[in-house]
Amino acid sequence: MTKSSPDYQANQSLYARLFEPQVIGKMPVGTQILVYSALVIWTLFVLFPIYWVLITSFKDIADVNGGPYFLPWIDFTPSLHAWKELFVVDYEDTLTAYMNSIIIALASTLLCSMIGSMAAYALARIEYKPKFGTIALFVVSMILASIAVGSYGIDWKIAVAVALAIFALMARGLSRRFTRSVGNGDILFWMISQRILPPVVVVVPIYMMFQQLHLLDTHIALILTYTVVNLPIVVWLMYDFFVSIPKDLEESAQLDGATRFTTFWEIVLPMARPGLAATTLLVMILAWNEYLLALFISTSNAQTMPILVAAMNAGERGILWWSMSVVIIVMIIPVVAMAIVLQRFISKGVLLGAVKG
Amino acid sequence: MSNTKTVSTAKGLVIKDLNKSYGSVHVVKDLNLDVLPGEFLVLLGPSGCGKTTALRMVAGLEEVQSGSITLGDTDVTTMPPKYRDVAMVFQSYALYPHKTVAENIGFPLKMRGIGVTEREQAVREAAQQVHLETLLERYPRQLSGGQRQRVALARAIIRRPAVFLMDEPLSNLDAQLRGFMRAELKHMQHALGVTTLYVTHDQIEAMTLAHRVAIINDGALQQLGTPREVYNDPANLFVAGFMGSPPMNFIQGEIENSRFQGAGIDLAVTGVADNGKTTLGFRPEDAEVVDAGQGLFDAIVYAAEMTGEQTLVTIELDETYFVIKMPKDFETDIGSQVGVRFAAEHGYLFNTGSGTRLRNCAVVMV
Repeated sequence: MTKSSPDYQANQSLYARLFEPQVIGKMPVGTQILVYSALVIWTLFVLFPIYWVLITSFKDIADVNGGPYFLPWIDFTPSLHAWKELFVVDYEDTLTAYMNSIIIALASTLLCSMIGSMAAYALARIEYKPKFGTIALFVVSMILASIAVGSYGIDWKIAVAVALAIFALMARGLSRRFTRSVGNGDILFWMISQRILPPVVVVVPIYMMFQQLHLLDTHIALILTYTVVNLPIVVWLMYDFFVSIPKDLEESAQLDGATRFTTFWEIVLPMARPGLAATTLLVMILAWNEYLLALFISTSNAQTMPILVAAMNAGERGILWWSMSVVIIVMIIPVVAMAIVLQRFISKGVLLGAVKG
Repeated sequence: MSNTKTVSTAKGLVIKDLNKSYGSVHVVKDLNLDVLPGEFLVLLGPSGCGKTTALRMVAGLEEVQSGSITLGDTDVTTMPPKYRDVAMVFQSYALYPHKTVAENIGFPLKMRGIGVTEREQAVREAAQQVHLETLLERYPRQLSGGQRQRVALARAIIRRPAVFLMDEPLSNLDAQLRGFMRAELKHMQHALGVTTLYVTHDQIEAMTLAHRVAIINDGALQQLGTPREVYNDPANLFVAGFMGSPPMNFIQGEIENSRFQGAGIDLAVTGVADNGKTTLGFRPEDAEVVDAGQGLFDAIVYAAEMTGEQTLVTIELDETYFVIKMPKDFETDIGSQVGVRFAAEHGYLFNTGSGTRLRNCAVVMV
């Protein structure tokens, strides 16, 4: 069937009708009005809360409590009192939290994307066969170490060292006897299963761990926690992108003299850029908005913006809607900026990916 | 393209007792090949016969299970691909879509840490050799199929490797371009004098390009020889049936008491008295259609197709069909009784069971 044959064209229009989105401008007028009204209503629905937060941040206390007032200069007189309080009077707390959020979100996103994409690439391209027996042995020796520490009061460093030694000594012999092994698919599922667990379940152990390490209320604690929590998402999403890249390209790069790492860095990663941009954005938003873990791990020095927002809910002065609105607006700005920057890569990448080989 | 013969770094390639299995499927069986320095050797076989796997083992992309691969004086059997001094052109071209043509061509040199100025010079030279000098700033997506093919070639020649490996490099091109690129490939290989191992399932490509052809079936080497040798002197039934378009005609029969009998024909045979099940083969261009009673046997015309340069006459004999090439002005009627004739030296006899050629024997012509 050639491109000029009537059969092909008929099929094309059938495909177009069934699967391709129609251009609104080409619809009948009545449909156009309906579609546009639906779109406008939905837009208002989405934008109104943001608008409400914005005007609330400029309202006087009386206007907030007396409301609802919708239009500045008509319903109420805008005032900068909340902004002034947060950025002039009390600026230290606000700025500390803001910088904390930025540092923690960026650092954990960077770490997470790097480690996660490398892990995803390895899972997509290297066949792993960890033996069941070895994994079980590792788990058992760690459990024994925990029992030794918990029930017999042995120093944890000694217990872990002994457990690792036992593992190292026995691993070889055991793997020869139990040859059943797991594959990449199992590893991948194990990774994502870490996200099935609700974070609140692990919050207490994490708290105790950082307490032991004297890292509570530090940037490092939050950066590490967010990295670990978000790692499965990066691995899972990037795995899909890497698998879709033709193997020929990597083999060709290898023959051209590239090492595994240069292949990854020069060939694979640039091609997976759209995926990486989308994944990075997602992970950054998750880290930026995270509340529960931050609530436990940080108290004052490492406090992030979501904690600051929540704090305004529980002061002795009641709920400070105006201050909360200011903080929320300030919080939205970096995420929107990041989305705009990364969107360029995402849409550009889609076109790039469409080209075969 | 320059006609000056470049100083050749060509090395010989020796493949010894090479084996590869995927699970229970034995894809490469005891392959032995000795590729001479500067030789263009084509691995030819139907799809799935193991030729690509063999090529990938030479490249280092597949692990060798047993046997050895020697390049020049170096045993490269377990050497990683990047140290092997081989360049490969993939069927899909495998161009890096996010790099320009110049960056694609220069990539092997970049990986070897060669400086920018020297690299640019080399890229320009390689691009000139494949007529790409005006497209260096483009991206692969902005190129046609033939141009992409050239980029892949340029990327292979820029390093002056000891061996070129090509995996069906022309199969994604349309027929006209394929013919042109074929000539260009042959010219380039001649000019560069690089040892080349080329995989294809297209016998025309194999015949036209190769110094020697290695015909592979079911993972095993069937015959190794010049295109003329494998065409004129096939070692077995598979080679005879695989080479040639249309392929060789076969008559199933038996040799008993120095007579070949099958499909209703009965011919005297010299050199062998009894062979049991035997296949008689003859090439379409070696036979001719004559008046009934004038040939070796008589048969019915099933169809006659004028292709322009020739007429392909399909003959039916006892539910066996033969194709015979006749001159373009040959005319006959479908259903008419005709005779078929070919010279004694053009009749090939094979053992039907094992497929091996029965040499030193021939059908006797009337």
